[in-house]
Amino acid sequence: MTNENNNLLVIKIGQLIDGISKSVKKDISIVINGNQIVDVKPSGELDIPENLNYKLLDYSDKTALPGLVDSHVHLTGIGDGRAGDELVTLSDEILSINMANNARVHLQSGVTTVRDCGAKNNTAFHLRQAVEMGIAESPRLVLSGRPLAIIGGHLGYFGEEITGEDECRAAVRYLVKQGADFIKVTATGGSTRTSFPLRPSFSQQELNVIAEEAHKFGKHVAAHCASSEAMKRVLNAGIDTIIHGTFKEVDGTNKYREDVAELIAEKGAYVNPTIGSASLKIKTMERKKENGNFTEQDQEELDSINREQEHRLECFNKLINLGVPMSAGSDSAWGQYKMGNYFEEIEAHVKGGQSPIEAIMSATNIASKSCWIDDNLGSIETGKLADILIVKEDPTKQIENLRTVVDVIKDGQLIDRQSLL
Amino acid sequence: MSEQSVIKSKIMIDMVNKNPIEDGAVIFENGLITLSGHYEKIKNKIKSDAKIYDYNDSVLIPGMVDCHTHHNGFGDGRSGDSIGEMEDNILSIKSAKNAKTSLFSGVTTIRENGPKNLTMMKLRDAVNQGLAIAPRMVLPGRPIAIIGGHMGYFGGEVTGPVESLALARQLIKEGVDYFKITATGGSTATSFPLRPSFSQKELDAVTNEAKNYGLLTATHCLSMEGIDNSLNAGVDMIIHCNFDNEKGESKFNEKLAEKIAKKGAFVNPTLHVGRARLWNLAIGKNPSLGGGENKRRLSSSIRSDRKDILEARLDAAKLSLENKLDHCRQMIDMGLKVITGSDSSWGDYSLGNTFHETELLVESGYSNYEGLKSVTINAAMALGLGDTAGSIAKGKSADFAILKSNPLDDIKNLSSVEEVFLMGQHIDRGSDESNKTYSQIKPAQF
Repeated sequence: MTNENNNLLVIKIGQLIDGISKSVKKDISIVINGNQIVDVKPSGELDIPENLNYKLLDYSDKTALPGLVDSHVHLTGIGDGRAGDELVTLSDEILSINMANNARVHLQSGVTTVRDCGAKNNTAFHLRQAVEMGIAESPRLVLSGRPLAIIGGHLGYFGEEITGEDECRAAVRYLVKQGADFIKVTATGGSTRTSFPLRPSFSQQELNVIAEEAHKFGKHVAAHCASSEAMKRVLNAGIDTIIHGTFKEVDGTNKYREDVAELIAEKGAYVNPTIGSASLKIKTMERKKENGNFTEQDQEELDSINREQEHRLECFNKLINLGVPMSAGSDSAWGQYKMGNYFEEIEAHVKGGQSPIEAIMSATNIASKSCWIDDNLGSIETGKLADILIVKEDPTKQIENLRTVVDVIKDGQLIDRQSLL
Repeated sequence: MSEQSVIKSKIMIDMVNKNPIEDGAVIFENGLITLSGHYEKIKNKIKSDAKIYDYNDSVLIPGMVDCHTHHNGFGDGRSGDSIGEMEDNILSIKSAKNAKTSLFSGVTTIRENGPKNLTMMKLRDAVNQGLAIAPRMVLPGRPIAIIGGHMGYFGGEVTGPVESLALARQLIKEGVDYFKITATGGSTATSFPLRPSFSQKELDAVTNEAKNYGLLTATHCLSMEGIDNSLNAGVDMIIHCNFDNEKGESKFNEKLAEKIAKKGAFVNPTLHVGRARLWNLAIGKNPSLGGGENKRRLSSSIRSDRKDILEARLDAAKLSLENKLDHCRQMIDMGLKVITGSDSSWGDYSLGNTFHETELLVESGYSNYEGLKSVTINAAMALGLGDTAGSIAKGKSADFAILKSNPLDDIKNLSSVEEVFLMGQHIDRGSDESNKTYSQIKPAQF
């Protein structure tokens, strides 16, 4: 032990999932100094000098894992089913209030880091300022600010519609100036009414410039791709994360494309599959079905969602077999997916074929790698920041056990999970 | 399905009957009180499927009404000027948090006295959208100020009767509930607290338009000429009400006080904001410079931690507080309508601590019961909400605070809030720990 101050915290745990190893370790103590992990070792080998004061948290019958990293959130969302086009009609002030609430809720649920994939105007940057001023509780923020979109493109209503290489370069520079940690680009249309989800949006040249300019400043790029053709473009541009990664042809047919999948693997890109929101929707509809009051139209919708989800899970499975790193990210609070339910996405990873511990790695270490923050976060190791989640039941036995959160520790501090302030 | 709810208490102080009611209970439906009284007397009106809240060890009072708040504020000593420079989005986040603090502390109605631009109107929108919770809010939009005047940085600087009238109309268009005018300077660096700001004609333009629309007005007055102008304009509430002349000499002026009484204006003396500054000066926390000082003279070339300066400021704060308490006592003795308006989170006084202001009104001569009136029924009347809030009576909004201890024994017991109801809704206050985070406690040396 090298520390001399009294800011020591020792966490005794029954079982450790460190985010990196595929096996669990038993009876471990994590030693934290301030906001940093300074030692991780078997509790029997703990050797803190007797004259040092430290605080002890005893979770001897519980499991610790790294604080969850949600690599895809929209803090601006409400999650009550309203479309993005409607969401943006709210004023920036209201969206800011909502973002601060969402940030607190997500943190209290166990997510200690989020990558925000798009908010209106300057609201994301203002939230960060509010957090730094101490007036908002939040997970660590990896921010894109405004997503880059073509005119009429997906999320263009957030305030960054651009055309041509020069405007792309300028937009990246301006976002970096404002404090963006990464660049989000919508490479196909999406739910935005004026956009075309099956068509690529930006040209190859525009995407090349975006990636080049972002990388110049040490920022990564994540691209929304709702169909296959755009994936090729973004991969050729050297973009780092593919969001959604939906294998769909221009005519709307579902088709796993080996050429695209192999390119993903070859380029070493991360994929953020966002498969939880559909499984949440399926659950909600099945509950509605059980309660009766299920129309023919509802049934058709459920069948259609099931078909799509089956395809997406199949593709997920093929990608993991190719060794593509899957970065878990909920996409909440978009659509009907409320904040504080990241578990749904992680559980969907297991449905897609990952083991529970692999899914946890997707939601911690791999997510932190895809966010370019793995130097400090995403695992429980000496030298990393002390973001730790304590759960009651063993999530390696059943991934749903991840929901049995007991405590959330961020920066070495226990989070008040019941506070509404 | 019945919507009926019932709260049972050990003691109910309804602010209608002079005496507290033991085993008092209140029945409410759809957010409104339908019946209240001794439990045994009203229990036959309780429906079998009513929701019963049993607080048999606690004291039931109407939700508190705070006539003077700043939800944009921080209460950590920072200046209003620096708040005026902040982004509206950030102030909105802060206001939403402060509004929860107010509500969780038992305050169910607030009158806001100076937010920037549209920030509080937007908070109201967020509440209406179900994205925020807040007490009932009486909002001024932004204060009306002269160029460089107090709180001009919040976005309402005007000159001349026509511009004043135009701003009044613009504010009405935006949906404000009353007008706040700064009739003298204040802590704002570019303003002059000992001088009146608006001319009589400018003030009249605003108050006439207010009367036209049935809106109330309140003026910030740190010196006597501003008070006199305000009374001539028919303003409904005098805020701060400092009996200072233009030389800064503070001496109670009975004639002016009589004029306030004659005009029937309410007085919001804002006593604790000065005491909070004193507390923070004494414990060495970074305190605000306060209203009476000319900050342009106290330039940054003088280190603010210089001992002689600190002591001078401490002495000035003490004297100013003593004067204010003395003047308040005289106003209370004369029967002026003095009410609780905390002025938090301004200066060093943070929201969630309204009881400190009521406590000082009691120190100035109110009985505990009168103190309680000043933060419930009388405050509600001052805001024109006498029919809606401030007492537990049939037809009023079901706004309640449940206290652990009786404020008639000690007014400070207003801080022992256990539960809060707003418009019949039981408010989830979150963890007890989080409700300790905003409380400001008297330092040991006081």
